[in-house]
Amino acid sequence: MARYALRRLMAEYKQLTVNPPEGIIAGPMNEENFFEWEALITGPEDTPFEGGVFPAKLQFPSDYPLSPPKMQFTCEMFHPNIYPDGRVCISILHSPGDDPTGYESSSERWSPVQSVEKILLSVVSMLAEPNDESAANLDAAKMWRDDRQQFNQIAQKLVRHTLGLQ
Amino acid sequence: MQTKMRALLFALGSFLLTSAVVGHAYYQRKQFYPSVVFITKSNPSMAVMYTQGFVLVLLVGKLMRKLFFGQLHAAEFEHLIERSWYAVTETCLAFTVFRDDFSPKFVALFTLLLFLKSFHWLAEDRVDFMERSPVITWVFHLRILCKILVQKFLRKIHLIPRVILSALLTLLGALDYLFVNSAYHSTLSKGPSVQLVFGFEYAILLTITTNISIKYILHTIDIESENPWEAKAVYLLHTELIVGFLKVVLYGLFMLIMARIHTFPLFAIRPMYLTTRAFKRALQDVIMSRRAIRNMNHLYPDVTPEELANSDSTCIICREEMTSGAKRLPCNHIFHTLCLRSWFQRQQTCPTCRLDVLQTAQPQAPPRPPPPAANNAQADARPAPPPAQPMGHRPFHMPHVWMPAAPRQGNAGDASSDSTAGASASSSSTQAGPIPMMPPPFAFSFPAHGFPFPPPPPFFPPPPISVPLPPANFEGMTREELEALVGVEEENIRNRIRCLRNIQCFLDAAVLQMHQYSTATGRHIFTSNDEPTLPNFEGLLKNLQEEARKVDKEPEGAAGFSPPQAPEEIPEEDKEAAELRKLRLQRFSPNDDSAK
Repeated sequence: MARYALRRLMAEYKQLTVNPPEGIIAGPMNEENFFEWEALITGPEDTPFEGGVFPAKLQFPSDYPLSPPKMQFTCEMFHPNIYPDGRVCISILHSPGDDPTGYESSSERWSPVQSVEKILLSVVSMLAEPNDESAANLDAAKMWRDDRQQFNQIAQKLVRHTLGLQ
Repeated sequence: MQTKMRALLFALGSFLLTSAVVGHAYYQRKQFYPSVVFITKSNPSMAVMYTQGFVLVLLVGKLMRKLFFGQLHAAEFEHLIERSWYAVTETCLAFTVFRDDFSPKFVALFTLLLFLKSFHWLAEDRVDFMERSPVITWVFHLRILCKILVQKFLRKIHLIPRVILSALLTLLGALDYLFVNSAYHSTLSKGPSVQLVFGFEYAILLTITTNISIKYILHTIDIESENPWEAKAVYLLHTELIVGFLKVVLYGLFMLIMARIHTFPLFAIRPMYLTTRAFKRALQDVIMSRRAIRNMNHLYPDVTPEELANSDSTCIICREEMTSGAKRLPCNHIFHTLCLRSWFQRQQTCPTCRLDVLQTAQPQAPPRPPPPAANNAQADARPAPPPAQPMGHRPFHMPHVWMPAAPRQGNAGDASSDSTAGASASSSSTQAGPIPMMPPPFAFSFPAHGFPFPPPPPFFPPPPISVPLPPANFEGMTREELEALVGVEEENIRNRIRCLRNIQCFLDAAVLQMHQYSTATGRHIFTSNDEPTLPNFEGLLKNLQEEARKVDKEPEGAAGFSPPQAPEEIPEEDKEAAELRKLRLQRFSPNDDSAK
């Protein structure tokens, strides 16, 4: 099992280094273990997260393309779809069996067609457009809906924080 | 770093204390035996001795770990710590059951058990890691880089950790067996006691060792063989199932016996629960895998190598080229048989379009016509014609004669060479794009034009004419026949229109190609003559636009497509452009051989 996962991860790594998508860097933490990756995501433009560089780690299961990886931001995040401990909650990271929030149709769930690149791109678009229907961080979702200004302020603070300005 | 220093200090202090205590006792009693009695009689001395024992055990454990595993990986270490905490808690719970037998020997035995357990865990992790680490590429690189001798030598070095690992596994197995045996004999001779617990624990450890060894052997075979070993997954599944079953039986027995003799063994509940769950999962996996294999063999047609060669065939599951061993799902998506099988163990849907294959597979007829790119191959693969195809219109049916598959590919490939090259370079984004309905074999279908789907499915050679041609005059035909004829004709007309549209598309593509060509040659002139610089392009464009406007204004100008400019009308500043155009025309004229 894991051999297939390894080969696929290598293929994806190669793909990502040869042809990196804009604003995203990702790769294994060390070449010995391809099942733990580190990713850097730049905040999308024209959003409160603009300019930030957010580190995250990806943990791949040994049956990887069959099961989704887990993604967790390693910096502080405040976003409706990110748990306070940094875990990312988006539908393509859930296999069709489990549904933590009960809002996702199975068509947007994980399938082997997805890839690291697509996960990271969806995370970028999630940063730009939070989905407050299936909130992982209730405070953030509430603030995003009711008090956008304060939400933006907090996001800006986080951006400055990730850049080491504060 | 700090914890290391602290541990070192602790070990040193313990050694100093022990030597002080022993020295003191010997100084007091002068002889060996009396000093031993002196130490055992005094509680503080015994405390020091126990601490020393603990430190020694830890050191021995460290030594063994270094010997067998070398440096531990971070994940392994975390795993070890987590599991040890559980084990310690459970041991403490077990102590409560056997508080009557509590003695230093008992504690020592438990410590030993804990140590052996931790080694089992580490061995398990290490064997699992074998599969994950990209060792194969290392060997691969060596093979490329080194000559045979050097390579052999290095491969031997590379084998050393494996030799150690197998030695460890044998040792663990032997130890487990030994302890089970001794526990069994002591229970037989002295009646049930704590030995019962140890016996069961070691029996379970023995099953774990067996499991690890089997896995280890399988992995080794897999690594040694050049190409991935297909049957391994099945073997692994079955091993898991059998070992899981053994463990569940062992735990069940243990629970029963313990509940009868002592009390209900609380400390065994967690492991029991975990094993039952693992067993259940293994059972489910085996069942699903069997079902998936059966479905694979019966429901979905194989894709022939020629067909694969004709299409852009990357298996979207493993992202590798498909050369053989591929299956086609009812929704026309193609995957490696093995990849598909492992996915079907999880879910019975198409990975690309999420079609529920179990439900749609029953009628056996493909809902959409397969690609014409593989006419003949398809005919081989599927002897029986799909029922959806009405046979009647065969004799009229022409499109595949007008539009043979091969030139089509060539054209599309040429015309869109730029755009497709770009698209295929970033293949993952196009292939697996958000529109999953696009079947993968058509990766070269026209991205710019939204190429229409291939004309009707000519996937077998026209059959021997079984249906007689309708008579020239329609007398003597029944109403139904006439209606059928009308339907057939309609279908034919539709096909023809589709064909014409395709041709139109090709023409568009050709125009595009010509345009690209002309721009390319234009640039070539600039670079070779070095005279007119790039900004003149804008002048040219303006000129053209003006002319177009003029043509629009004069109604009679629209009728004749006269050459856009006569030399006397050219303003001064456009002369260069005109010259350029003339040059280009020269280059383009077919007689001119000097043009490239």
